[in-house]
Amino acid sequence: MDVTITVNGKERSAAVPPETTLLTMLRTNLGLTGAKLGCDVGDCGACTVLVDGEPVNACLMLAAQVDGREVVTIEGLSGFQTLSPLQEMFDLFSSFQCGFCAPGMIISAKALLDKNSSPTVAEVREALAGNLCRCTGYTKIIDAVMEVGARTAAGAERA
Amino acid sequence: MVIKVEDTLRTDRLTDLKEAGDSAGVPAVARERGRAPQIVPDANQQTPAVGQRVTRPDSRPHITGQTRYIDDMSFPNMLHMKILRSEYAHARIVNIDVSEAEKMPGVVATLTGKEIPVNSFGPSYQDQPVLADDKVRHMGDGVVAVAAETEQQAQDALARIKVDYEKLPLVLDPLEAMKEDSPKIHGESNIYATKVIRKGDVEQALARADLVMEARFSTQMVEHVPMEPHATIAMWEPDGRIKILSSLGRITLGRADMARTLDMPVNRIQVVGTIVGGNFGGKNEITTEPVLALLARKTGRPVKGVFTRKDEFVSSTTRHPFIMDYKTGVMKDGRIVARKVRIVADGGAYCSWSETTLGKGAILSVGPYRIDNLEVKAYAVYTNKTTCGAMRGFGAPQVCFGYESHMDDIARELGIDPLEIRLRNVFDEGSPSPTGQVLHSVAVRESLDTVADRVGWKEQTQ
Amino acid sequence: MRPFDYLAPQSVEDAVAALAENSPDARALAGGTDLLVDLKHETASAGLLVDLTRIAECRGIEESADGLRFGSLATHTEIMESELVRKYAPSMIDAARTVGAVQTRNLGTLGGNLVTCVPSLDSGPVLVALDAQVTIAGIGGRRRMPLTEFFVGPRKTALEKGEILVDIIIPRANLGKPCSFRKFGLRKGQALALVNVAAAARVLDGRIAGARIALGAVAPTVIRAREAEALLDGEAPDPTLIAKAAEIAVTEAKPIDDFRASAAYRCELIRALTGRVLNEAIEQAAR
Repeated sequence: MDVTITVNGKERSAAVPPETTLLTMLRTNLGLTGAKLGCDVGDCGACTVLVDGEPVNACLMLAAQVDGREVVTIEGLSGFQTLSPLQEMFDLFSSFQCGFCAPGMIISAKALLDKNSSPTVAEVREALAGNLCRCTGYTKIIDAVMEVGARTAAGAERA
Repeated sequence: MVIKVEDTLRTDRLTDLKEAGDSAGVPAVARERGRAPQIVPDANQQTPAVGQRVTRPDSRPHITGQTRYIDDMSFPNMLHMKILRSEYAHARIVNIDVSEAEKMPGVVATLTGKEIPVNSFGPSYQDQPVLADDKVRHMGDGVVAVAAETEQQAQDALARIKVDYEKLPLVLDPLEAMKEDSPKIHGESNIYATKVIRKGDVEQALARADLVMEARFSTQMVEHVPMEPHATIAMWEPDGRIKILSSLGRITLGRADMARTLDMPVNRIQVVGTIVGGNFGGKNEITTEPVLALLARKTGRPVKGVFTRKDEFVSSTTRHPFIMDYKTGVMKDGRIVARKVRIVADGGAYCSWSETTLGKGAILSVGPYRIDNLEVKAYAVYTNKTTCGAMRGFGAPQVCFGYESHMDDIARELGIDPLEIRLRNVFDEGSPSPTGQVLHSVAVRESLDTVADRVGWKEQTQ
Repeated sequence: MRPFDYLAPQSVEDAVAALAENSPDARALAGGTDLLVDLKHETASAGLLVDLTRIAECRGIEESADGLRFGSLATHTEIMESELVRKYAPSMIDAARTVGAVQTRNLGTLGGNLVTCVPSLDSGPVLVALDAQVTIAGIGGRRRMPLTEFFVGPRKTALEKGEILVDIIIPRANLGKPCSFRKFGLRKGQALALVNVAAAARVLDGRIAGARIALGAVAPTVIRAREAEALLDGEAPDPTLIAKAAEIAVTEAKPIDDFRASAAYRCELIRALTGRVLNEAIEQAAR
């Protein structure tokens, strides 16, 4: 079946069998390999993307269910030479080691910050509970998100 | 800018940011905390990079999703491989029939253990088959591999493979496996590695101790769960070399294992170790690389194989469960005069990194304490379970749990503060290790004192 | 996953017609957080997936004449963000918050959770404690039943082949009824309940009325601890009474030993959590 999705602001189409997940369509048909396959059953969060602004496990959605909708992947967050504020902080704090969880983690964090620009640590933990990391122990990831929140708040105060 | 952080964050690297005077704006979180005390200043002077902040050169690809891990890579005409794993934990393979599977849509080739030129590998003993041929020894043992146009087609073909097994008696408990009459997994004994360390006269020292305490400590099997499952792509180059792209960590060992199993000169084997999504020791040896190489040769096409998460749990290596029996002779003032340890390391079905794990575990098992009279006996034992291999620490975490729990028990029994009893026994500069190595840059005492200070040990324990 | 066909009907009638026509090979798809996992593990199979997520009638949360109506396709996130739920049944938010993680809550649906019907389902206890009713539709028409009747056994509901869940209703009389939910899992997130419990009760003229205690994960389905409820009704709330009710609730449950916990430990959890939710409900009643 033909599936058309707006991915990172661009309309993309592919002819895929109905049982194709959104994750497979992104990785195999559209060449967007940022979202990863970690478990394939929605436990690890490595496949997290935004669908209509909400973070979901791409491995648990059929591509057909996303037809006509908007998807944002990690590739959509930065230009070739520019990083989003969240990615800047991941860089500054070195909030990753092997990097495999980073795309999903950043997407989930972005979804949180889009709704709640200065979250508490508890709110960050809840928002990232569906993204597993085996390398970092999470503290630097939380630091990076909190710092984005802090700088946003400071910017708002000064304004 | 003041930030209230509700949670306790480690301060040292935030302090690094403060010290480095980062121009991008030092996080205010760092300014709120104190500075960590310096330790080992000599090393710092010799290598001024120590303590400096570095930015990672691979930062940008990782955080923009541009990094290519193995499964992100694809080659023209590439096939996908799936592996049929054993139905039983211990069984003889009587017959394998792949004829139905080979007729399935999209299937291009199959591979069994008999087609592997030298079907054995391993970092110390080469006791592990690439694909099981005569026996399966745990449920993660691979038996047949299928290469097909799509992953689903390869998966579907597995259901059509007929394997006839003759079940064998199981042994799952390592202490049972050590017995004479236990089912044997390899050869004539399930005990396949032994390490013994002796120093001084442990029996005499135990006899003159004020108190002798004994206890058993056990740890469990742990799976690394790297976020990236094992992944490999194999393809033959036009000059007759095999090229392997793999999440494998030890390239040189991998090439040696492939040279052996494929019966090829090592200089015809190129292994490209790429960015890996977590290893922790679990990707320290080959898994399906030879299988993929042979399938790539059979089909004339590149072949990719990626572990499912189930494969990761059932088939990839894990941390050894240890059963540790401690017997310690101690004086009233808390000084340890003798320590005896017996370690049984449950190695699972194949040797893998058990020897290294056993060695390290044995040496470290008495703890970082000045003990003149000691005896350690450590055994690696086969069981019909997932193979145990390398995992961060190689035996150190298990024994640490043992000797530190034991120390707390001793402290309680003698009525001595648990920190104090450790300070009375801990290594100093120049102390010998259990195997006689003279230790330098020993910072145990300072570390304990620093932690005690930071957590307010004295105040809390008054 | 093995190949299947896919349909996305826009109405309940079209959906049940498609399911009936393609029975037994057709499966209804809601959030996919259970079904797709089962298909991937090959513990389920399907020749056709009928995607219910475009059916407007099955979406949304609204106040109706009957009470508070949840479309079966309301997601756990939608429940957590609903002003109506906050006003009328806030313990449903507490329950929804414990399901999986953000990503699975954005996909997973209330209806899906009820239809999968594992004994530990998190949306069960509160709805049972609030006497929820469900509406089922099939090609033969619609029917309504109490949620307690809908749960038949582990992974078994009253749905016949080809039927779907349309909505779940908390009766008007129970809107705003004091209710509390507690779950205990091996982790703070992404964890199955070892035990989950909800209690609801009014306090009228100083006496407990309409006591409900719903226990999850300790019997083949979510159950009411009816003997414990009977003990409470008509009595003045006090610590001894609550503790006694909790003890009786333990005896009404049938927890099992499994790799997550022993039956004995589950009994301890029932006792502790039942006490807590009863106390919380009574505190709410006092406000």
